Amino acid sequence: MKSLISCSAVMAMLLAFSSAVMAGDTLVSQGKMMGRSYHQQLYTKHQCATCHGVDKPVSRAADDSCLKCHSVDKLAQQTARQGDEQWQNPHNNLHYGKDVPCTECHGEHAVKQPICKDCHTFKFSKFQE
Amino acid sequence: MNKIDFLTRRNFIKGLGATGVAFAAPGMANAIVADDSIHWDEQVEMAIIGSGFAGLAAGIEATKHGCKAVTIYEKMAVYGGNSAINGGLFAAPNTPLQKEKGIQDSVDTMVADQLKSGRGVADEKLLRHIASHASDALQMTIDAGAEYYPYLQQLGGHSVPRTYQTKVSCGAGITQPLVRECRKLGVKLQNRSKFEGFILGKDAAVIGIRIRYPYYFEDENSGKLLHIRASKGVLMATGGFAQNVNLRMAQDPTLTAEVGCTNAKGATGEGMLEMFRLGAIPVHLAYIQSGPWASPDEGGFGYVSNYAIFNFPHSIAVNCLTGKRFMNEIADRKTRADAELACRDSAGKPLPPIMITSYAHAKEHPTCENVLKYGVGWKFDDLQSIAKRFNIPLQPLQQQVDEYNAYVKDGEDKQFGKSMAKAKGMYIQAPYTVVRLWPKVHYCQGGVQVNANAEVLDSNTGKAIKGLYAAGEVCGGIHGVSRLGSCAIPECMVMGMTAARSIMGA
Ligand SMILES: Cc1cc2nc3c(=O)[nH]c(=O)nc-3n(C[C@H](O)[C@H](O)[C@H](O)COP(=O)(O)OP(=O)(O)OC[C@H]3O[C@@H](n4cnc5c(N)ncnc54)[C@H](O)[C@@H]3O)c2cc1C
Repeated sequence: MKSLISCSAVMAMLLAFSSAVMAGDTLVSQGKMMGRSYHQQLYTKHQCATCHGVDKPVSRAADDSCLKCHSVDKLAQQTARQGDEQWQNPHNNLHYGKDVPCTECHGEHAVKQPICKDCHTFKFSKFQE
Repeated sequence: MNKIDFLTRRNFIKGLGATGVAFAAPGMANAIVADDSIHWDEQVEMAIIGSGFAGLAAGIEATKHGCKAVTIYEKMAVYGGNSAINGGLFAAPNTPLQKEKGIQDSVDTMVADQLKSGRGVADEKLLRHIASHASDALQMTIDAGAEYYPYLQQLGGHSVPRTYQTKVSCGAGITQPLVRECRKLGVKLQNRSKFEGFILGKDAAVIGIRIRYPYYFEDENSGKLLHIRASKGVLMATGGFAQNVNLRMAQDPTLTAEVGCTNAKGATGEGMLEMFRLGAIPVHLAYIQSGPWASPDEGGFGYVSNYAIFNFPHSIAVNCLTGKRFMNEIADRKTRADAELACRDSAGKPLPPIMITSYAHAKEHPTCENVLKYGVGWKFDDLQSIAKRFNIPLQPLQQQVDEYNAYVKDGEDKQFGKSMAKAKGMYIQAPYTVVRLWPKVHYCQGGVQVNANAEVLDSNTGKAIKGLYAAGEVCGGIHGVSRLGSCAIPECMVMGMTAARSIMGA
């Protein structure tokens, strides 16, 4: 029961956030909810289980679910920075290395910000809402 | 056990139901008493709550003493708490670098410095225990792969240079190697695991904990409650409460939400409160330290903090209203934070003072580049430009700089009695770098009382609460009124290691 309530709260949040999404971003409407454009197949085929483990999710996807398809090592290579910015690589950063769960910065159904922004003014030009 | 304790426990037992657990009165303790039918979701020998210096050091030390099953439960998505964002400054006496540089130091000297800053209410026995083992703790970090600058710093309130700093100028230069070491040794780390209460055995000893998993910060209904059995002991390493605005304002009403804070978001103190509910002794909760090296121009600890800590010994801090110095730049933190807070404009509004440093000296520390690059500090070619930019009367400022440079020459600060040993030959000269200063809530001296075995003491009996240990910033009273900079890392590490040895009977 509790998890159902928090699920509907999450849905309400998603709706509130959706209007803030800007054109050109990969977070787009997927029918009933927002989702990444490159994950469209999962939505048309109703494959919630790919990430959530079950077809009718009542809770968040596990931290490692993105890693079924995405490799943090490869991502770290793609976002590598040079010189004194070496440790500003979001996928291999000074404070937490490669340990930050993907959904801390990337929302599949909602807009999020990189957690680095809590303290730093670093620019992440490739970051897509 | 005294009568009150006994009655409380009887009430727990009366409430035992089919679930095998009994809840305390609603709204009160979250502790439950287990009976034989309790279902344990997980069994470990040692349960550690919190993944900062204290928790990580304890995990490593426990395995060294034969612990086969130890798990570190962390409520946040990431590991390391305040430790992972800290400045990486580590004080210890009698270290290899001191030997190399020919610096005379001792456990006694370090303790004496700390007692002075503690203003008569620090815990000398614990400080001595920590100082005596600080270099062992330093060695643990080096063994795990931590790397330090090849020089020592002399921080405010320390009578000699004894502070190491990681090469990344951050505590992550320690927590990351310790996390890797934990994984190598089989210490299990579990994130999104929030401690919510103790599970007590029939003799009121702590025999387990309740963990909410998977927990998503600030969604208090996320996850499910698990019962974790800890056969040898539970270590609370949950850190301070500087981010809990209500709790800090209850102690010090001036620390409102408007005052900045350097801490990680998870520093909210519920683990400490739960220990109080169980009977732990609250010590010095009102001693909440603000950092005098923080900047109003950036979030959290930012870049300026480490920059200012490095540069204070050979810089001047100037009140923009008067153009004059207003403090000993390396006095202890409270002295400096209070002095900065007193810098106000004629209407009484905060007027952050500035710190002026010769660029030639400032650039010796790598953070200088970041301070300039990210626009939180500025370079000037002459005092005129500084006076203009910050609206400071030029003549007094010019006079102050000349006066101070004479102190550098003579090796004696006639204005504020600052130790000039570290400023030898370091005149304030153009070009200059400038940052603005304003204190931020930084560190909680207060917490639960522990003894030199890291056992948590009971307020009724004065004796150790069986099965319960605490280490790190969650503990109180060790540093007294004001902790000296770079003394938290040794404290957290040594007390974490101590707790592990106590739990493993070593
Ligand atoms: C920005 C900054 C810079 C600093 N610089 C220095 C320095 O250079 N040198 C120095 O000596 N000291 C410094 N300090 C102080 C020092 O870093 C801290 O006192 C120290 O990190 C505390 O370590 P800890 O292990 O006790 O707690 P933390 O490192 O804070 O770890 C506690 C962990 O417990 C978790 N937790 C809390 N409640 C629960 C719960 N209910 N369930 C599960 N987990 C929970 C938290 O999320 C956190 O991860 C600094 C502090 C800050 C904030």
